This record gives sequence, structure tokens and C-alpha cells, in this order.
Amino acid sequence: MTTAQKLQQLLKSGYHRIGEIELQTDLYGYPYALCHQADVELSTEPAFGGLEIHHGPAAARDLSTYAEDGTYRFTKGQVNLKRGWVMVLESVQDLRLALDQFYPACLGLFLAQQDGSLEIETLREKLNRQTGMYRFARSISDAGAQQLVQTVCGPAHQCAKKILWKIDADTPLDDSEASRFNGIPNDLPATQAIPLLCREACNHFVAECRKAAKAEFEAKAASGA
Amino acid sequence: MSIAPKPHCALLIVGHGSTENPDSSTPYFEHAEEIRSRGLFSEVHCCFWKEEPSMREALYLIDSAEVYVVPDFISEGYFTQDVIPRELQLTGPTTEVRGKTFHYCLPVGVHRSMTDLILKRAKEVAPGISPAETTLIITGHGTGLNQNSTKAIRDQAELIAQSGAGYAAVLDAYMEEQPFIAEWAEMASTPNVVVVPFFISDGLHSYQDIPVLLGIEAEVGAALSQTAVFRQNPHHLRGKTLFYSSAIGTERLLADVILDQIADFDSLHLAHPLPA
Repeated sequence: MTTAQKLQQLLKSGYHRIGEIELQTDLYGYPYALCHQADVELSTEPAFGGLEIHHGPAAARDLSTYAEDGTYRFTKGQVNLKRGWVMVLESVQDLRLALDQFYPACLGLFLAQQDGSLEIETLREKLNRQTGMYRFARSISDAGAQQLVQTVCGPAHQCAKKILWKIDADTPLDDSEASRFNGIPNDLPATQAIPLLCREACNHFVAECRKAAKAEFEAKAASGA
Repeated sequence: MSIAPKPHCALLIVGHGSTENPDSSTPYFEHAEEIRSRGLFSEVHCCFWKEEPSMREALYLIDSAEVYVVPDFISEGYFTQDVIPRELQLTGPTTEVRGKTFHYCLPVGVHRSMTDLILKRAKEVAPGISPAETTLIITGHGTGLNQNSTKAIRDQAELIAQSGAGYAAVLDAYMEEQPFIAEWAEMASTPNVVVVPFFISDGLHSYQDIPVLLGIEAEVGAALSQTAVFRQNPHHLRGKTLFYSSAIGTERLLADVILDQIADFDSLHLAHPLPA
């Protein structure tokens, strides 16, 4: 079964949300429609309640690149998706294409988790593969990395992904709001939403590790240790 | 060159991407969309080193059992020879990974058809300007770390010089190694200079850094998509008339070069399979 067919099954079984996006079926004659979850009521009004209409998946990347205030959404798990639009789609293939732009690979990651084939990568594995200026990130301490998770990740810091990785194979993340978050914003039941999964630390987190590792190094040097 | 449809294969376009510049990945998605629209593959995806989806996440995007991987990179070097094979667990031209067959093609930038794209771009940016009174400079990043990173540009400069296009001179120049692009006016003896950045995207380097080195901008400006007015050619600087084009990778026809690399891969590696 293809990813698109599995998506169709998810919709039939009651899933209607991914991240901040509401997935609707059969809306004003369109087989599929997407909008910001806060715009659902508007989208069901005549003429889609005045929402900007996009036909087909082509606009998905533009819609998801900048937040309302113009800031670059460098990771798509951020909970600052623009409102004010509706995207109507003619096929489940187009729906899949759109979702892969809004939330890259998140559908595939969820399906792999469902069938037990998702491989998780620890933070150390990720950091040890960094090169160039990011090579220094690997020297961050476990304590520093644990601290970063709590100051960089989770919905309090604008990321709605569920962290699946550990620091290393034997070191799980410390308990925190960020480490507990289930990848579903707005408290929807898990039977209704495709969670956003974080199978490896993102590049933003790696960049923050580099900064923290440098600060640790400088602090150690200053203390003469 | 055209390729026969591969309705049972996926195409995975690999790019660098950026956590800071939203324009960096735009061409990759445009190339993917162009190829997708031709219906040649069962699926077309992009993945990145510094953006989502990562190369390892991309494996979860693909349904097909056979996958062509094309690095949408400008040269052979560290990324195409080390990073991409490591991330995708590729060990040769064709590798079986988790039940799928991956064919690893050469990067777009080293394909011979890039020459025509550079010439097209140079003509478009300086319409009506006589090549005989013009120096064409192809510029790239350059790094002391890898000799290969400048080879593609040197090769293209040589090919264009020999092509009969008629430019007074065709030169290569770099941001971080000699000959430096910052010295473009000294390098060129003609009144007109056309500079074509040999990058995939109008990202940090070609849109923000090089204009400063050329003297078009006093300081690094905002990203392309955040500026209201695209720079206007020509620029009258240092006693010369300078035409600066957008990055070569923003040419939509680069999608054809991706397909050319796949065709080349097939003829090199798959045309004469070893006997069983």
C-alpha cells in the first residue's frame, strides 16, 4: 500500500489534524481541503469565509516558509503557521504532496512508527556526524544537552514535535514539558491527529549545541580547569 | 538528452539547504516540481543536509523499491563524496538499503550540459552586449579543503572559452581562494564584465556575499525573498560595466540536467549488466 493510500485510511478512521493543519474531506465539492486549525469554522462558510483560496499543493511551501510576523520558519514543527488561507486538493496524491511541504516527512515517519520500522537516532550519533563549523557541537556535555532540550524544544519554545531520541543509547532525556510533549498541539486525542515526530535532533538544535559547547569550553578555560 | 519514463522509480533530489536563508532550498523544490510535472517518475522528493526533511528522514518518504539519487550540487567534493553516501548509506553506484535499490548519480554541476545553461544565462543578463568586448567570469565558493570543489568551474570556463561563444575572456574566480572574485575589475581587460554565480540557489553566497565582494552592495543585505526590488543591471563600477546574474541553479532548465545525469548513470552502469 502506498503512503497516499495509507493517508486515505487514516482520514477514514477519524484522523483530521497534523500539526496546526486541519485536514477536511469533501468540502464544497473538493475531495480534500487544508487550513489552519484556527480557521476551520471560516473554511466551512460560503466562499470559504473569505479565506485566501489555493488550488493544488503548489503554495504549500510558500505558506509554510514565513510566520505571520515575517520570521523564517527554519523548522516546520514551529507552532507559528500563518492563518487566513484554505488549500483545496483534487486527489489524495496532491494532499500528500502538500503535507510533505507543510510538515516534511512527518506522515512517513508516523506510518513507519505505526508499523515498527522507524529508526531513531540518538543526539550523540547526530552530533558525531557533524562537520565543518558544527563539529564542535559534539563536545557538549550531557548536562548541557539536557538543559538545551528544555530551553529549545517543546511547544513552549514553538516546536510541536514529539522527541523520540535520547542523548545516547543509555541516557534518556530528563523529564520535562518538552520531553513529555506528544507531538499534537491543541490537546487533540491521539486517535484524531497525526503526531509530528522528531527522530533526530534538528539542525537548529545542533546549532544551539555548538553555541552551548563553546560556552562550556570558554567557561572551563576561564576557570582554569 | 531525454530519458524514458521510469514509472516504478523514485527520484530523490539532494540539496544543501540552510537554517538561516529561506531562499536556499527554493530551486530544489522548483526542479522537483518541474520533473514531477513531466510524469517520468512514480514520485519525486527533495531532502537536505541543513533543512527538513533530512536525508535520513527522506527514506520514509519513498514508496518505490528503486530510487535515483541526484545531488543537486555544483561540484564533486566533500558533500557528494562523503556526506551524502554516508547519510544515505550508499557504498557505490548502486546500493541496496533496507530493501530498496539506490542509484547514486553524479552532481548536476559536473554535467557537460551546464555549459549551455551558463551561456544562456550570460546572454540573458547582458542582452545586446558584444561578447568580443566582454569578460565572462564564472564564480564559485572555493575552499582550500577540497581541490574538486573548483574543478567544475574551471572545466566550464575552459569549455566556454573553446566553444566559439566569442567572449574576449572566460575566467573562473572564487570567494575564498585565488583568483578572488573581489578582484574582478583587475582581472578583466574589457569594458564589460558578466559574472555568473555557479551556485544552485540565490542564497547567502550568491545573493548576499558576492554582491559585497563585487562592490554592488556596501554590506550584506537581506535575503532575496525579503527584498522588494531585485538588483538592476548593469552596474557601473570600477570603470567597467558589470552584469551580475542570478545563480545558475535557479534556471528551471536545470531540471533537464538532473535528468541528463540519470540518463548518463543508466548508460554507464545499467546498460550492460554483468551476466548472472
